[in-house]
Amino acid sequence: MLVFERVAIGTGHGIRCTRCHPDRDVPEYRSAADVLGDVQAAVVGWVGGPGPNVTLTGPEPFSHPELPAIVAGAIEAGVRRLRLEADGGAFAKAGNADGALGAGVRHVQVTLLGGTEGVHDALAGGPGAFDAATSGMAAFGDAARVADLDAIVTVLVPVCRHNAVDLPATVGAAVRAGAASVLLRVEDGGIDLDAATPWITAACDTGVVNGVWVEVEGVPFCLLPAYDLHLASTIRSTAGAKPASVCATCALDPVCAGGPGGASAETMSSFAPPVGAERLAEAVSRSRGGAE
Amino acid sequence: MTRDARPLHVALLALNSPGYQSLALGYLRAYAQADDRLKGRAAFTTLDLTIDVDPWWVAWRVLGMEPEVLGISVTCWNARAVFEVCRIVAEVRPETVIVLGGPEVGPIAEDVLRERPAVHAVVRGEGERTFADLLHAFASGGKAWRVDGVTARKLDEIVSAPDRGLIENLDAIPSPYLAGVMSPVEGGAYLETYRGCPHRCGYCFEGKGYGRIRSFSRERIAAEIAAVAGAPQVSTFSFIDPVFNLTAERLAWFADALEPHAAAGIRLHTIEVDIEKIDDTAAHLLKRAGVASVETGPQTIGEAALTACRRSFDAQKFADGVAACRRAGISVECDLIVGLPGDDAHSFLAGLRFVLGLDPGIVQSSTLHVLPGTDLWMRAPELGLSFDPEPPHEIIATPDVGYRDLRRAEVLAASVQAAYRARV
Repeated sequence: MLVFERVAIGTGHGIRCTRCHPDRDVPEYRSAADVLGDVQAAVVGWVGGPGPNVTLTGPEPFSHPELPAIVAGAIEAGVRRLRLEADGGAFAKAGNADGALGAGVRHVQVTLLGGTEGVHDALAGGPGAFDAATSGMAAFGDAARVADLDAIVTVLVPVCRHNAVDLPATVGAAVRAGAASVLLRVEDGGIDLDAATPWITAACDTGVVNGVWVEVEGVPFCLLPAYDLHLASTIRSTAGAKPASVCATCALDPVCAGGPGGASAETMSSFAPPVGAERLAEAVSRSRGGAE
Repeated sequence: MTRDARPLHVALLALNSPGYQSLALGYLRAYAQADDRLKGRAAFTTLDLTIDVDPWWVAWRVLGMEPEVLGISVTCWNARAVFEVCRIVAEVRPETVIVLGGPEVGPIAEDVLRERPAVHAVVRGEGERTFADLLHAFASGGKAWRVDGVTARKLDEIVSAPDRGLIENLDAIPSPYLAGVMSPVEGGAYLETYRGCPHRCGYCFEGKGYGRIRSFSRERIAAEIAAVAGAPQVSTFSFIDPVFNLTAERLAWFADALEPHAAAGIRLHTIEVDIEKIDDTAAHLLKRAGVASVETGPQTIGEAALTACRRSFDAQKFADGVAACRRAGISVECDLIVGLPGDDAHSFLAGLRFVLGLDPGIVQSSTLHVLPGTDLWMRAPELGLSFDPEPPHEIIATPDVGYRDLRRAEVLAASVQAAYRARV
């Protein structure tokens, strides 16, 4: 429902599973002028409803030497919702949360790979990452409350075969750290989705009973019966998302984002239309208002 | 109740949201104090407390006053706490006569008395005249169950006296602000300029069964505006009228009456409007009146739900109204209700998407409460609505959406609203 235009501040990635991605990339940051050029283009061409909203993606933003200039320039360009994708740790350092809020950052998305330091740190590739992320999230939330500003922290969980069983605990950790919502993004094409599904549904329920919304990406509707709202595209956009062609024989095709990228044809062909697919497709289409 | 020469000690209690005070109690007290029959025969104390106070400490305050009559204003939000206060007070001081009134109890007065032995009487409908008559009955040895508009105990029976007609001339009710019964407080002062509602929405008790609109006189309204807007420390106040822009002529009058105060910095917040009637001219009048923010529907955009709730909705007019307000610099709060009959979770989300697309300023969703006396309350079996019989009567499930999806929709909506609010 709220669309964010993604603008990369450099090449490389933020935190992700080191077992799935054993090769560490060396980030290269774009100049502030280049980044702001893309931000300006996003603002000028904005057609996505309430906004303009921009997410600064790519490697850790707080390692970018010109981050203050980028944030200030984005706000000056007219961005109303500026989101940083970050590992979260920087916010625990004195002044960073206040500084980011003061400059206009209102959305922060922190990546959690697990619900405990044992899982998160092991997958992130270093000790202390979990504590840094969760205390940074809490610090950002506290700073926003003190400043009486509306600002939110959301959590992204890249779901893979290595952390699927820990999803309920991960959502629990996000709740404790003050997350407003959690996005479970299944991005491991080799994951056993059938085996992961109970953990995904338990994670959704963990969020709901704690008042925190959990959205799921990378799982087709047919694998999450009765959990369709969690796949219904709320604060993210599914524009352009296409299910893999091998399962495109379902009434839900126009609204389903399909399985995870890289899933094998064998996996995808095992999916079957769920009971009531036509009715569900109509309902989901109604909630999206034909906007995407 | 037999009386000696001492005045009847009447305590009036309300449990409000923090920061607010009860206009209802102000009216009751102002009217009763002005009643010649009660002069020298009744003494009043008002306890305007907040809902976050533990009922045991509320009872502590009440019992410390040793009232002979305890009158409590009951809404769906404070009812559970009020009933607990009643139980404690009745146990400790059974000689205190407990009288309830308000939208939560009036429409189901006999049920309340049957289920709450601590309660002696319930005032039904418009309370000012009925409550004063009831106090007169208490002070003169009369019977509560004989007072029109009252349901009360007669030995082991529960008896409802005939309904009472509406107060034709609302100016007969003294203004609590002008009478000195209430003092305006910053952000918590409310004015009422008429009673009744032009709409008949199935979920709403705003019209309180009044059936037609009765207005206070313009002289009275102007005097109240001057008293509240001129009070020290007050920079904002509001109106509780269900539709502030009732007619174009009335709105123009308000703009003229409020403009001098707006020029002095007074701002009006959360004024409820019929947004589909607002064009640039009306938005300009609202701005002149000092309106900073308005509150409106659509509550739902689903056709089935609109029909079930007897509401109309024109998407284009609604969007035009929001745009006109925004052009005038007025923030709009768009309200949605989760769980209306006819809506499923996805049609609720469609409504959420619609209002977000208008970029109104604030989006607020709430869960349906099936309130006593409303159309939905009476038609609940026909519509298949399952709701909590205990206040605040939250919807549990409908034929269109189950319990789990209702709770999911609530959480999802809260998440979207938080993300929308977070902006520079």
